Amino acid sequence: MSTLPIHFFTAGGRRSRRTAFLALAGIAVAVYILAPFCWLLLTSFMHERDALTVPTQWIPQHPTLEHYRTFFHPSGANALVGGRAAEEMLPGMVNSLFAALGTAVANLVLGTLAGYSLARLRFRGQGALLGVYLGSRMVPGIALIVPLYLTLKNLGMLDHLSALITTYVTFTLPFTIWLLKNYFQTIPRSLEEAAFMDGCSWLQMLIKVLLPVAMPGLVSAAMFAFMTAWNDYLFAVILTSTTASKTLPVVVAGFATDVTTQRTLMATGGVLAIIPPLALAFLFQRLIVQGLTSGAVKD
Amino acid sequence: MRPSLSLPAAKPRQRVNRVGYDRRAFAWLLNAPALLAICVLSAFPIAYSAWISLHRYNLQRPHAFKFVGISNYIDILQSPEFWTSLWITVEYTVLVVMLVVVLGILIALLLNREFPGRAMVRTLVLLPWAIPPVVNGLMWQWIYDAKVGALNGLLVSLGLLDQYRGWLSTPTSALLALVFAEVWSLLPLAVILLLSALQRIPAELYEAARMDGASKSQLFRYITLPWLSQSLLVVLILQTMSALRAFDVIYVLTAGGPGTATTTLTWQTYLTTFSNLDFGHGNAYAWLVSLITLALALAYFKVLYGRGDIEA
Repeated sequence: MSTLPIHFFTAGGRRSRRTAFLALAGIAVAVYILAPFCWLLLTSFMHERDALTVPTQWIPQHPTLEHYRTFFHPSGANALVGGRAAEEMLPGMVNSLFAALGTAVANLVLGTLAGYSLARLRFRGQGALLGVYLGSRMVPGIALIVPLYLTLKNLGMLDHLSALITTYVTFTLPFTIWLLKNYFQTIPRSLEEAAFMDGCSWLQMLIKVLLPVAMPGLVSAAMFAFMTAWNDYLFAVILTSTTASKTLPVVVAGFATDVTTQRTLMATGGVLAIIPPLALAFLFQRLIVQGLTSGAVKD
Repeated sequence: MRPSLSLPAAKPRQRVNRVGYDRRAFAWLLNAPALLAICVLSAFPIAYSAWISLHRYNLQRPHAFKFVGISNYIDILQSPEFWTSLWITVEYTVLVVMLVVVLGILIALLLNREFPGRAMVRTLVLLPWAIPPVVNGLMWQWIYDAKVGALNGLLVSLGLLDQYRGWLSTPTSALLALVFAEVWSLLPLAVILLLSALQRIPAELYEAARMDGASKSQLFRYITLPWLSQSLLVVLILQTMSALRAFDVIYVLTAGGPGTATTTLTWQTYLTTFSNLDFGHGNAYAWLVSLITLALALAYFKVLYGRGDIEA
């Protein structure tokens, strides 16, 4: 991926040697980040017996797609050990997508409203309100799980995606509000005032003027909400019980604690669970970094 | 940097918003949906949890719901499990946060320099962030595996290890294994935040200092570190919270074992609540964890506010 400049070997020179050193360090970082993930990825293409060899087989000798096929046709001829868990994979993925997207959208709507008010309006109780938002984030999830379970049970929402979405929204909102508030504050007020001059209503101003400018902030807030919902295991495992609402992490953790499941199949499940967030992270990389750094941390 | 707590100067009079709403009512209206969600699903459960923690309430004997005051808390504070798990939590958190901060600074410093392939490494660094903790745990469980794991395979083939060993079956190596798995997944956020802080340091500062004959370590000590301090504190807060809450990765990787070697406070709370079905003590544990987290958060915030580095 990186080639040493040729004059490193010939003319020497401090500068190019330094560049070479930096490039080597860069390779070391890339290997550190990539190696564990590559191992997972490679294993997903191995036959089970190849994955269990000693000494370790690094590159699959007989690469196969059979595990990927198993997930998409779980009950066919490919039904392997762990086939039942494999059947839950696709519904799990759909549930995860709905839960994560629902959480992201709800976050944007609620977060924009509250974030705007904290960024632009001066009102009594503002500081206290921000305190309540941030304070509610300080309580670890494990502390809420029992009362939350009982509350959602009373509301008849157990094993529904709606229970997951509302829970995730509650946990992600404080960060979204904080990030959007800070992001809105970086946008000049004159923009809004000009929109009002042109006769826009508040809502028109918000949709046509402010939100397009705040796009990096909105994208990174939505991404964080999406990731939190997609990654959560603790709440999902307590609040869901059937394929009606089981999310991917619950299905995958089901593999992990079931000794009969083939490891290669587990690896495939892991890879499938990674693809959507990975795609989003790389797709929106620039916007995420931009929104996060100007929104979450201020000069 | 702006002074602390300074909000943009308020307009002289309480103006009525252009749309015609009274400003204060409008502000609360905008906050109503968020507040409602947080009250129902955060504030209420927190209070409910406190109420349960004052009762004897064990699902194995569901009818014995009895008010016992703070005796659950006293039981916990007198139990050796609490102090063991507290100590393990401290070890785990300190190790994770230290490694994340040191590695985060080093990688951010590297990515702030020009070298071939930099853009690619910058993108790659995001990778662990996109991996769900459960999958992360699964992945490392496998790498550490005693019989066929990649770590054993690698170390033996490099001649660094005589024979395969069970990394997750001795107390010290299990804790370290857990720490490394967590550090790997927490690094991206630290790198992003620190790198963007580095990019905001004006280059003239370094030039001026070099003119004055400052050494490299002096440049780092007197320019880089102070400019990094705010982001560093944000990273410290975020990573401490994450480490204190770690659950998924422990669940998949070690389940608190071997013995109690990786039983952190969070895991102990989980065990008390869901293995022993002792909701009274479980919620008391949960409250103790919350109080510790809150105290740490307040301490960090005090440092941040005290330095005038962050705005309300």
